[in-house]
Amino acid sequence: MKRLTRNEEDEMNRILSRDEEILPSSGFTASVMDAVRREAAVPPPIPFPWKRALPGMTVAGFVLASILIAWIAAISRLIGASASPQPSTSSPSIAPLLSHGNMESLVGWIVFGLLIAFLSTKLSMRFGSGGV
Amino acid sequence: MSASDDQSDVERVLAGNIAAFEGIVQRWQSPLINLAYRFCHDRGRAEEMAQEAFLRAYRALSQWRSDAVFSTWLFALATNLYRSELRRIPARTVPFDDIAEPADKHAADGGFEDHDRDRAVRRAVLALPPKYREALILFYFHEMDVASAARSLGLPEGTVKARLSRGRDILRGKLPQLLAMPSLKEA
Repeated sequence: MKRLTRNEEDEMNRILSRDEEILPSSGFTASVMDAVRREAAVPPPIPFPWKRALPGMTVAGFVLASILIAWIAAISRLIGASASPQPSTSSPSIAPLLSHGNMESLVGWIVFGLLIAFLSTKLSMRFGSGGV
Repeated sequence: MSASDDQSDVERVLAGNIAAFEGIVQRWQSPLINLAYRFCHDRGRAEEMAQEAFLRAYRALSQWRSDAVFSTWLFALATNLYRSELRRIPARTVPFDDIAEPADKHAADGGFEDHDRDRAVRRAVLALPPKYREALILFYFHEMDVASAARSLGLPEGTVKARLSRGRDILRGKLPQLLAMPSLKEA
């Protein structure tokens, strides 16, 4: 594409430099200041309560990690059990013991879950009432 | 317009005196409205965009570092807003090919006056692709100062120079008769 000659460039500079100027309308400053005052009157956004939420989040993280570990352990036990040879009928059976142990751990988990639910409910009620 | 006035007004606003912002608005309303007007060529929209720019400046006032020139910061903020506003809702422009050229540019009766020619060139600028249009608008707004235009656009000077050159070449290609035409008043 052809470049501008010096005259053409001067002419374009002249035209575009003298773009028409407009004056602000009389109420412009007042209108901006109204908007600024409205903006200032709005309370600042409430920051996320990290201090309060951190203990709960830590506990939740711990619980999640525990569940994950327990789940992985259970899976690996299951895999180990299926890989090992079937116990002979003559050897003493450990099935009742296993089932008893499972029952105990199940009860433990249920109690733990109820405890967490209770604590989180109490905690959210305290947050709600502004008690913390 | 003094930099110390801006500095003291900003400090007062940040200290909680909202009324001090009025000084900033009064000092900078005309430049900000006129810059907006160059982007959209619509008086009402220019004032709306300038008002939004002031509001954003108010919100971000604490981010202005006093080692930078206040006007540079304000123009960069306003330019950024105007560019995104114009990309969101483009200004009403006439397609390049529809921009009228004089049937007889040397008409003795002044059928195509300087004013019409100038308007046609400005309309052609608004019809340019955004990156060339923005460079041209800022360059002429800042009285042909590439460095100021580059600061407002947040671009390196070399990039702005290249865009200016390309933008002017596009205009030259589209409006050869208009630009080659000597001013009728001089003729």
